[in-house]
Amino acid sequence: MARKILKSYEYKPAKLNRGYTRKSLYINVGDLSVQAKDISQMMIDKFVGGKGFDLYYLWHATLPETKWDDPENEIVMSAGPLGGMTQYSGTGKTLVCGISPMTGIPIDSNVGGYYGPLLKFSGWDALELQGKSDKDLVIFIDGNKGLIQIEEDDGLPEDTHLLNEKLTEEYAEDEDDKVNISVVCTGSAAPHIRFGMLNFSFYDPRRKTCRVKQAARGGLGTILRDKKIKALVVKFKGVKPNLNDVADISTINKIGVKYAKEMHDLDQKQNGIRKIGTANTVAIMNKYDLLPTRNFQAGGDPEAVKIYPQVFIDNFITQGIHDGCWYGCTMSCAKTADHFKLLTGPYKGQCVTVDGPEYECVAGLGANLGVFDPRAILEENFYCDTYGVDLISFATCLAFVMECFERGQINLENTGGLDLHFGNSESVLEILHQMSRGEGFGVIVGQGTRRCKQIFVEKFGADPKLLQDIGMEVKGLEYAEYCHKESLAQQGGFALTNKGPQHDEAWLIFMDQVNKQIPSFEDKADALYYYPMFRTWFGLCGLCKLPWNDIVPADNGKTDDPAKVPEHVQNYVDIFNAVTGKSIDKDELIRQSERVYNFQRVFSVRMGHGTRAEDYPPYRSLGPVSKEEYLSRQEMYDKQIREVHGKDPESLSIEEKMLIQRKHRENQFEKLMDAVYKRRGWTNEGVPTAEHLASIGMDLPELLEVLETHENKEK
Amino acid sequence: MKILAHKQEICTGCRNCEEACADFYFKRTDRNYSSIRITNNDNTFHATKCTQCGECINMCTSNAIYRDRLGVVRIDKNKCVGCLGCVGFCSELSMFYADDLPVPFKCVACNVCVKACPEGALEILVSKVKE
Amino acid sequence: MIKVNTEDHPWNKPLTVQELLDEKGYIFPHIVVRINGQYIEEDDYATQLVQDGDDVLVLHLMAGG
Repeated sequence: MARKILKSYEYKPAKLNRGYTRKSLYINVGDLSVQAKDISQMMIDKFVGGKGFDLYYLWHATLPETKWDDPENEIVMSAGPLGGMTQYSGTGKTLVCGISPMTGIPIDSNVGGYYGPLLKFSGWDALELQGKSDKDLVIFIDGNKGLIQIEEDDGLPEDTHLLNEKLTEEYAEDEDDKVNISVVCTGSAAPHIRFGMLNFSFYDPRRKTCRVKQAARGGLGTILRDKKIKALVVKFKGVKPNLNDVADISTINKIGVKYAKEMHDLDQKQNGIRKIGTANTVAIMNKYDLLPTRNFQAGGDPEAVKIYPQVFIDNFITQGIHDGCWYGCTMSCAKTADHFKLLTGPYKGQCVTVDGPEYECVAGLGANLGVFDPRAILEENFYCDTYGVDLISFATCLAFVMECFERGQINLENTGGLDLHFGNSESVLEILHQMSRGEGFGVIVGQGTRRCKQIFVEKFGADPKLLQDIGMEVKGLEYAEYCHKESLAQQGGFALTNKGPQHDEAWLIFMDQVNKQIPSFEDKADALYYYPMFRTWFGLCGLCKLPWNDIVPADNGKTDDPAKVPEHVQNYVDIFNAVTGKSIDKDELIRQSERVYNFQRVFSVRMGHGTRAEDYPPYRSLGPVSKEEYLSRQEMYDKQIREVHGKDPESLSIEEKMLIQRKHRENQFEKLMDAVYKRRGWTNEGVPTAEHLASIGMDLPELLEVLETHENKEK
Repeated sequence: MKILAHKQEICTGCRNCEEACADFYFKRTDRNYSSIRITNNDNTFHATKCTQCGECINMCTSNAIYRDRLGVVRIDKNKCVGCLGCVGFCSELSMFYADDLPVPFKCVACNVCVKACPEGALEILVSKVKE
Repeated sequence: MIKVNTEDHPWNKPLTVQELLDEKGYIFPHIVVRINGQYIEEDDYATQLVQDGDDVLVLHLMAGG
């Protein structure tokens, strides 16, 4: 390796105590300054770690008017106090934040891979990257030596799978040392699109290749390349069970072993995650009318059997070996298709390892694009990953674009000759290759749904009202892959979120639509209070949420509230206390989240967003936009017209019935907003109140000042 | 392939094997440090110990468990991160751990307990299968 | 008439829990069934009968995301 070293910084790695190093690393890639900051007790008490630390630093680094590509914008990442423990499944997550190129407000994205835990063991609870470089950089941290090096790129490859292999090879002393390296990077598409994502690597000693997990949402990879950072590399040798210096190892061991036994005994009977990861749900979603198909028009398709989990298990996915993205995870959901031969693009003819497919991939790149071809889905999956493309935003945006094409809103001339009928996987792949090359219609698609709507209307003469109805984004971020038109609670679960619609905060479709557990507005509001708060907590601590409820104890059904999985909630309370030496209970757990959740909402308000006006979903999220959609579920919709509205559907035209449905559904959503804001302690405009902040111990002066400024502006 | 075998009909439940194992590997008298555990079921004595089945090899989250050339399943202490996943995954319940040890432990068919057994209830079976 | 997840469902003759699940198309393997609040073991789905007027709860413990 002969890269020019632009800056060297030596440090003494801070020792961990009770899950924290209490140090964070600040690097400005503009002036190459490096600084070690102390993490205060206030930060630990109020923000816990992970996403909490990220948002705290981001707030203080940026101004209300900061744009995503301003030099003061940051990429901040942190593993959280529980991050890096090895005895419980799903404990290696890194939380990454920045002002998003998609939404203009803070985005947070959680990701597996080894970078966050190894960063922490190298002495840093968090890492801030600020400034903009004029040449491409590699930032290397050696956690054993206590050395940070900023190096100048000497022609490293752009695409993730090549870049990771090369950097891992370079920094590792030998084959055994490769597991001690983790790389963060994006791919060749990131500079040309807004939803470029971050890949976090880990070396797989069995497959002898680098694997990746993604901090996918909101364009964090786009920010990385805007700062001209090519890659972050960390090296730390010596992962052991108690590097966190926990308060009570005995409790942690006991709970960890109990949980591993559950996984061993029950996974096969429950979700079969160890065989096929999150893609296990594709068949279920299809059967329950929830698999988003052809831009969320339908909830499934007879052809979906071709992309069922068993097809991938039988033909593509390597079985029988560990597939975790951090040590100790017995859920082992990070599946791969090995020796997969590519048929298109710059790597055509090569055999690669595809990380996936996860559920979002099969649903998004498959059903939602009308692609019912497992091979094509895997190839799309591979290129999204290596090019650095958030496949959820890509899939949801392209589904919208394809519907525009099918409905004649855009034509072949607009697309540069690409036939974008649903199901045309060749065109889907060509769009991806265009994103990588930074040319053609792919670059327009890469601007995301919100900007595509504007471009199609202004340049191609499309109908703005239709596009608003069918473009599946809120706040500028694309929806995750669930057809949720018949679940009011899930409509809120997507739209009434801090960062935009994703599957991280609330997932209530089955509770609401199938189980009918939360019938009233108050019930739904309760769920839209509890679950987003509970799930936020994983992001404070450095945890993955899958082990919470993708497997449950054998007697979970006999508990008071099976959906919450009470025993696992208690596991988390006990582990948190065992690591940190604190003594929280399950209510304080929710309060910890609530503080950061409200901080994030006020952060958006500070940036001129984060209000009711920006929480409205497109109508496709709420009900049938088109006649075809109405007709596909006519029996159900007619029944609603009869029962809810007391009208005879036979005497009404489809247009009249659609209008009745629309008015009703939009009205229901308004009522839901009222109930949810109230439950969350917010004004009817969706802004946290000073009283509420005080009641949760989050009445920090900088937040109150924002509320005051906002109030004055309203007046 | 080497496996520790236990003859229930001869075993008197004296537990000398447990002591010998804990003493040899960890210099302890506490049976919680033994890789063989004898339990009394109505005066029939059952031995919990590794059958060298290898179920833990592929599930190991740090690729630290392997089968040596004699067919014995072993833990590479340099690679093991002490996640204890294998403890929960052992169908024989014969992967053990202790809070003060960095890695789990298991029977490696070493013969120490065989020598310690006054009744001759333990023996090491060697077969050519699976090697 | 019986109730399944709070909604009316026609009842013509005594049927087992499993038959009801099939009738509703509830194929998800990971569910909790309660009849009039009483927890039903999975092993009993094939034999436990649902009677007229019963209030049946079929909780899908679907994780999602």
